[in-house]
Formats: sequence, C-alpha cells, structure tokens
Amino acid sequence: MGSMARVNVAAIPIPGVDADAGRVFETKMTSPPESASNEAPDELAAIGLAASEPVVPEPEIIPTVSLRDVAQAMLKHITRERMITAGLACISIGALFLIWYLGTKYRFEFYIRFKNVPTPAEVFQQAAQVGLSNKFLYNIAISVRRILTGFAIAIAIGVPLGLMIGRYGRVRDLFMPVVEILRPIPAIAWVPMSIMLWPNNEAAIVYITFIGAFFPILLNTIHGVHSLDGVLVRAGRCLGANEPQLFWSVILPGSLPHIFTGLAVGMGVAWVSLIAAEMISGQYGVGYFTWEAYSLVDYPAIMLGMITIGVLGLACSGIIRMVGILLMPWLAYASGSKR
Amino acid sequence: MTVIDADTDVHKGFIDVRNMGVTFGSGDSAVVAVKDVSLNVRPGEFVSLIGPSGCGKSTLLSIVAGFVKPTSGEAMLDGQLITRPGSDRGVVFQQYSLFPWLSVRKNVEFGLKMAGESQSKRNITARSLLDLAGLLSFENHYPDQLSGGMKQRIGIVRALATSPQVLLMDEPFGALDTQTRVVMQEILTNIWQQFRISVLFITHDIEESIFLSDRIYVMTARPGRIKAEIRVPLPRPRKAEMTDSPEFMNLVQELKGLIREESLAAMAPELKDRGLSGFGMKVGPKGVGEIF
Repeated sequence: MGSMARVNVAAIPIPGVDADAGRVFETKMTSPPESASNEAPDELAAIGLAASEPVVPEPEIIPTVSLRDVAQAMLKHITRERMITAGLACISIGALFLIWYLGTKYRFEFYIRFKNVPTPAEVFQQAAQVGLSNKFLYNIAISVRRILTGFAIAIAIGVPLGLMIGRYGRVRDLFMPVVEILRPIPAIAWVPMSIMLWPNNEAAIVYITFIGAFFPILLNTIHGVHSLDGVLVRAGRCLGANEPQLFWSVILPGSLPHIFTGLAVGMGVAWVSLIAAEMISGQYGVGYFTWEAYSLVDYPAIMLGMITIGVLGLACSGIIRMVGILLMPWLAYASGSKR
Repeated sequence: MTVIDADTDVHKGFIDVRNMGVTFGSGDSAVVAVKDVSLNVRPGEFVSLIGPSGCGKSTLLSIVAGFVKPTSGEAMLDGQLITRPGSDRGVVFQQYSLFPWLSVRKNVEFGLKMAGESQSKRNITARSLLDLAGLLSFENHYPDQLSGGMKQRIGIVRALATSPQVLLMDEPFGALDTQTRVVMQEILTNIWQQFRISVLFITHDIEESIFLSDRIYVMTARPGRIKAEIRVPLPRPRKAEMTDSPEFMNLVQELKGLIREESLAAMAPELKDRGLSGFGMKVGPKGVGEIF
C-alpha cells in the first residue's frame, strides 16, 4: 500500500542522516583508533575493501621502466606465501617418493619388506603402458560413475532428512533410533547383505558407496541445523517467512557450511567403501583392477591402482571444496576464517 | 510533509498488553518471569521499557513479537490477539541477526522477498532504505565485513522494509561501545521521525530511554511488574545537546532512584526487605560480611 511512497525515500533530505552525513559519520567512526572494542579494525577493513579498487598505485608509477618493476614487485608479493606453500607440498610428496625410491633401490628389509615392492620407474613404465589403455580408463570411469551415483543419492536423501530431523523433534524421535543402530555398521560389513539384497552387482556396489557417504552427510546436516543461531530463525519468522520459506531461505543456507563438511567426510568414506566393495564383489573399477593385479602377481599394477585411487579421491574432495567456496563466498569474511 | 508520512496510517500500530503473566516451568521449579503487566503503545508513539537485568522485559517483547505465549493475560495489536510472529511487527534483536550468507542489500530485501514482491521493487526499496541508513555504498558487502554499529543500522532498516505497524527493539545497542551507541540513538530518532511508527524499545540504559522515548515504563525486579510510568516532555526532534538540559537531568535522577532499588533487589532480594538505609548502616563499621 505504501510502496509508491516508500520509493521516494532516497530523494528526501533527512535532517541529520542524509546520505552524505551518513558517510561522513562512517569515516568519523573509523578515525579514532582508541574507539575501543574490536569494532574499529572491522570497520577499517570494510572501508579498506570498499576503497581498494580505485587506489591503484598510480601516483608512485613513473611511466618508463616502472611498469615492469610493479609487475615484478607484485609477482614477488603474490608468490612469496604461495611459494612456501608449494615448496612444502613438494617436500611432502617428494619425501614419500624418496622413501619409496630408496626403499626399493636398496631393497630395504627390516621388518618392513621392500623386497617385492616395484620401483617408481617400474610403476611409471606400467602407467605409460596401461595408463591410457581403454581397459584402464574404463575401470576409472566405472568407479567414478559408482561414486557419483551413490554420492548423489546420499545427498538427495541425507540433506533433506537431516534438515527435517534437525528442525522437528518428532521426526528426530522417529528416525534417530534407526540411524543410531545402523550407523556403527561399517559399509564393508554391508557387502554380503548388499549382494543378497540387490538384483545385480552394480546396484549392490552403488548401495555400499551410498551407505558410506550417507551417515556423515546426514549427521553433519543435523548438526548444521542445531548449531544455526536461533536468532536467525526468529528474524526470518519476523520478516514474514512461512515454514517452507524458512527452510529454503534460512535453515538450508545457515546449515550449508556444516553440510559441506559432511560432503567432504562423506566423499572420503564413499571411496573407502567403494574400493572395498569392488575388491570383494566387483567387476571393473579401480578397486577391482588393484585386487586383480594382486591375484595376477602384477606388482607395478598394484601401485598404479593405489596411486589412481589416491588421485581420484583428492580430485573429488578438491571439487567439493571448490563448489563450497563458490556457493558460500561469505565464509571468506566470517570470524575465525583464515582467508 | 515528507512522502513517508502519507504512508503511515495514524490509526495503526496500537499495542495493548493486558494483565500479562508469564511463568516458566511448573510445580516447584516454576519461575514467575512477568506478573500482571499492563501497558500500551499508542500509534506513532515511542515507548521504552526499562528495568534491571532478568526482570522479564525481553520476555515481554518476545510475547508481543509472537515468539512466546503468555501464561495469563493477552497482547493485542490493533485489536487483534498476537499469536505468532509476523511482518506487521518489525523486530530488531540485541544480537546481530543479519543473515551472514546474504549481502547487505539482500538482507534488507529478505522480508519483501518472503512477501513475494518483484525483484525490481525489492531492489528500489532496499536501496532507498540503505541510503537512509547511510550505508548504500556497502550494499554488496557481506554482514561479516561490517562493524557492529553498521550491522545494527541494517537490522533496523531491514525490519522497516516490510512497512510494519510497530517496531520492537530488544536492547539493539546493548552490544555497541558507548560512542557508537550515542550516534546510533540519534540515527534512530531521525529514522523514527521519518516513519512515525509505534516503537516498543527495551533497554537498561536510563539516558538512552529518556533520549529516545515519549513514555517510559519502569519494571520491577523478578517477577517483573510495572513500577512506574514516566512521561518524557522533551520536545521533538531530539538533539544530542538536550542531554545536558535540566529537564533531562531531572528525569535521569528520577529514573535512577527508581531503578537502583530494583537493581539491588534483583541482585539480592533480601536487601530489599531491609531497605536501602539499613544497607548503609550495617555495612559501615563491620564490613560487608554481615550482609552477604
């Protein structure tokens, strides 16, 4: 009813608080550093962020050689932290390879036996030989398909159910007893039952993958709802949100950080479960490839399978983390954030 | 005079609380939080509720907001019984209650979005309100990038976005430092001057309640009752200088007297029975030990 009138608010000069005065006030608030509390730095940061774009180091540049200097300075500035990070990562992974290399080179044997372990070179040869063969790629594709299917079903059931359990006491009373009984059973223990339960091997393996991912996703989603600040739910209701709107616009986004923790953990457990299921009952898949290599005494292929699993797992959790950053840009500013 | 005045219905926004009582728990563990409270806020009036901590003033506000149901009595808005939260009552909380996942502008738009308003209308309303709060240049920031004072200003205009009839404020400046607080009070009176809607303002700060209000209710210590109702005859619009005027000082003195008794009572109920004079005499020579 008053919508038209409200629109004009911006144009009205307001005594004391017109836009300019407001901004002056903003700067006034930031200027006294003694203004106690942890507020001042935040405000400075906010204003610094707002102002950072126009403040390109223009006045300092003398337009002859300096462009290069600036570029170099920037390069130095940006890469310093990252170089250290990257360097440490290289040392970390390099150390692993070095132990492997030295162990296999000198055939280290003192309780741990490197006697039959293939050398890095042998595995590399194997990778070059098998790595791009259709059979190997097919195994990878099958594993990825199983993971994605099981994981997608786990999200589709786990997240809505978790939100409901977290929100409604009665739903919690109904579902939690079952969850608490089924949860301690590891996905691998489901293998025999799963083979009996499902019409084919493929469905059984997807089911085991699903079980692995499901519980971490469910429990973290419940935790996300519970740790959501109650004042946000109340604020949502005061602003006229009905229950479905509250779910979609407050509870879901508010639980999202915890849900993503659940997805990251769930993805890890899903890989463990998948590989175990493939080793026991599979045809095709990276787990099957690795186990078959063991049966055929093809040692380099075992290592290749292991490394493949590691890389695939890393890629999957990397994708989840990236999606998380894209979906939750606000977390970069949250208190306690390291970014 | 301003365009917004035309928007406000002078007959809307009447809060009427009658014989309200709230008891938490039951049996032996029952705690009477509020007892037989009656108060009202007339359309366009700014009313403060002041009292010692734990006196049930926030509980009272929660009832008017619709979060808590009273044990006895009733709360009405324009003749309608209040049973649940709704966008006809804007609420500003003591804790920062902006949605951290929404930008500043999207936060202000939230209520309008829930009401199904179009994107363009939401955008225009939110931007004009942010301009009013002096924060238009921060519209695309996230709440976590802002200071406490900025967050509360956004909280206030967010509550105003759905054109509520009343604004309920639960110690909104309680978490701010003193300097920010004083400026925020001025900003609030200015915003209120624009919208002229009824405000029920909870605080424990005496100067704040006088500076902002037309009327002040003073509550007793738990169980909370209305101890006194005080009119603030200071002219509008309120200016910061007024806090030095003799009228203001007198009101501060009056309220201080009323509240000190209750604060003492809230801290140690037995002190209230002995009276304040008894307190002074007994502590003197023998030390505090005798009393506590």
